[in-house]
Amino acid sequence: MASAELRAIRRRIRSVESTKKITRAMELIAASRIVKARERVSAARPYAEKMIEVIRNVGRASGDVGHPLLERRPVVTMGVLVVTSDRGLAGAYNSSVMRMAEARMSELQGDGVAVRLYAVGKKAQTYFSFRRYDIANTFFGVTDQPAYDDARGIGLALMEDYESGAVDAVEVFYTVYQSALSYVPSRVELLPVTPPSDVDAESSEAGGRAVSYEYEPDPAAILGRLLPRYVESALYGQLLESSASEHASRQRAMKAATENADELIKVMTRNANQARQAEITTEIAEIVGGAQALAAG
Amino acid sequence: MAETVSVGRISKVAGPVVDVEFPREGLPEILHALEIDLEVEGEQKTVVAEVAQHLGRSRVRAVAMASTDGLVRGAPVRNTGSPISVPVGSQTLGHIFNMWGDSLDAPDIEFSGERWPIHRQAPPFEDVEPTRDVFETGIKVLDLICPYLRGGKVGLFGGAGVGKTVLIQEMINRVATQHDGVSVFAGVGERTREGNDLFLEMSETGVINQAALVFGQMDEPPGVRLRVALSALTMAEYFRDVQRQDVLLFIDNIFRFTQAGSEVSVLLERMPSAVGYQPTLAGEMGFLQERITSLKGRSITSMQAVYVPADDITDPAPHTAFAHLDATTVLERALTALGIYPAVDPLDSNSRALDPQIVGREHYDVATAVQRVLQRYKDLQDIIAILGVDELSEEDRLLVARARRIQRFLSQPMFVAEQFTGQPGIYTPLDETISSFKMVLDGELDHLPEQAFYMVGGAEDAMRKAREIQGAAA
Repeated sequence: MASAELRAIRRRIRSVESTKKITRAMELIAASRIVKARERVSAARPYAEKMIEVIRNVGRASGDVGHPLLERRPVVTMGVLVVTSDRGLAGAYNSSVMRMAEARMSELQGDGVAVRLYAVGKKAQTYFSFRRYDIANTFFGVTDQPAYDDARGIGLALMEDYESGAVDAVEVFYTVYQSALSYVPSRVELLPVTPPSDVDAESSEAGGRAVSYEYEPDPAAILGRLLPRYVESALYGQLLESSASEHASRQRAMKAATENADELIKVMTRNANQARQAEITTEIAEIVGGAQALAAG
Repeated sequence: MAETVSVGRISKVAGPVVDVEFPREGLPEILHALEIDLEVEGEQKTVVAEVAQHLGRSRVRAVAMASTDGLVRGAPVRNTGSPISVPVGSQTLGHIFNMWGDSLDAPDIEFSGERWPIHRQAPPFEDVEPTRDVFETGIKVLDLICPYLRGGKVGLFGGAGVGKTVLIQEMINRVATQHDGVSVFAGVGERTREGNDLFLEMSETGVINQAALVFGQMDEPPGVRLRVALSALTMAEYFRDVQRQDVLLFIDNIFRFTQAGSEVSVLLERMPSAVGYQPTLAGEMGFLQERITSLKGRSITSMQAVYVPADDITDPAPHTAFAHLDATTVLERALTALGIYPAVDPLDSNSRALDPQIVGREHYDVATAVQRVLQRYKDLQDIIAILGVDELSEEDRLLVARARRIQRFLSQPMFVAEQFTGQPGIYTPLDETISSFKMVLDGELDHLPEQAFYMVGGAEDAMRKAREIQGAAA
């Protein structure tokens, strides 16, 4: 009777409580990871900035050199790299960037451009393989704490495909960390490399010291060595941004989940109390009724 | 009424319970009817009472079937020597009766034909015949999840205001109008207005000429509400046994029968049992339900509304009714909150007929697959509430999307609810129901918006509605 209902509610409360413990723990872990991830982002910034500056200088010195990574070809096959996490429970973090990538891919395919998909993170792999996309390459175990070697590995694979002509351009879909509450899925063209001198012409005035160096060997050879490093460092920055966003998103999602669990527990506790009270009332009514019937007889 | 056998005198009146002292040699039997003449404000009335207990010292305790206001000690009481009886047969068609067989719509008509006592034995064991014919209602959720059997007993369970009476009236509208036998309706302890509506509607559609209505509504004393179902059942039995017809018996609401039994039980000073119900709860229900049976070649198909107190289906009253039924349709409050009518809970409702041997393999497979999807959706609901739908695996997310479509697809406009929904009722043939749900399960309709499945008939209707929605959006 009512006691069965009471037992069922109590069982559900217990299960929600244990879920809540997990989400609470994940919230705290994510909160501590955000700090580290942001430190990494700012630690990687000086290197990336210096890299841009050097490439700009070298590019200026070398003049108009040809390098395979700079070469713009008509795009027949577009490489798409999607940066997601390996684990879920991060709110809309994964799905928003994946949806953005998917929209772009169908746009490209509508224009008659073939797509070659690279997935970072298990979530992207399951999402796209479930939707029957071919995935050319997958990279796991990267986004929780991305290392420079990870960026190098991914970069190498992309540049290889680019140079071999398997893809004619590469776009990266990742998430830009803006603040603990805001992270924006974004698209960036990684290959071919757009020389920073063209893009950053204006901002370079602020910190741009047009120093003339002497180059040994010639600037073109140095540029050839530097460009792959530049790609790697850009990729590394994107991985770090994504990682920081992931942790921030997870923290927020788990905080919301913990609150939802609290709310659910509150409602169910009320129901349980009501069921218990109903049971007690029934028992009292039965005992009193029985006693009075005996007294009357 | 029947002839007087002996005359006694009232010795005590306590609400609807009357104690009467008879001469030693003229004691009435249990369940026999007594009559008491009474003058209230110059109007002559006869109160009928039924003997419930023998108290000893030539006194009997009887339950009155009308108000006992105005009764005094010492007033004479006639023992009629027989149980309460009601007119039966063709003379009853087209009329409304009260519990003791007086016509309410035409008080002047004399029903001189045959009368049967309302207390009868259940038919003998060897005459009972199980039926295996499913009958189609045209309501998707009923046909799919809890198919009804011709000659079977159906219970519609639901708390207050979830649509039991509407569904019963819908069944009358759908089934009785196409039924070639007769229908008997018992209004037990429900609203008088509904009885009036039903009579007028039946008169409009002409069903009334093949129907008899018996009412003992909520303003009547408990004795009436306890016996009115038996009066209606007696009429139905006559059609079955003597006129050899297929009968539809509608009872709204069987819980009031139990409730009246509980009231009478307290007045008779019986010790209350679990949750304050009468100790004879299961017995009373058994006597009634065992008489509602199909015999060889002639059937009584009955549909009974069962009120569920405080939405607690484990309450003893609805629970004793469960065991007697072939199909149980459970109406769920949470679904009415979503606006899904009829609010049939596809997981709690079931039917003996949902068996591959009776409904066929395909129907069975589709119905259980629908239940499986909905069950999984229900299991996932806590996760969705805590973590959000984004955390589900791809398979589960697809399943949730289909479950939500199925949930909406189980709604359907009803004929009697046209004034509420502004939409005429839809009859969906069983074949179309099965094939439509199969399409949803197979993902063939995943591209349609959820809203397209709400309040439509079959799959084609859903596609048409989807086009309408898209047309309105564009």
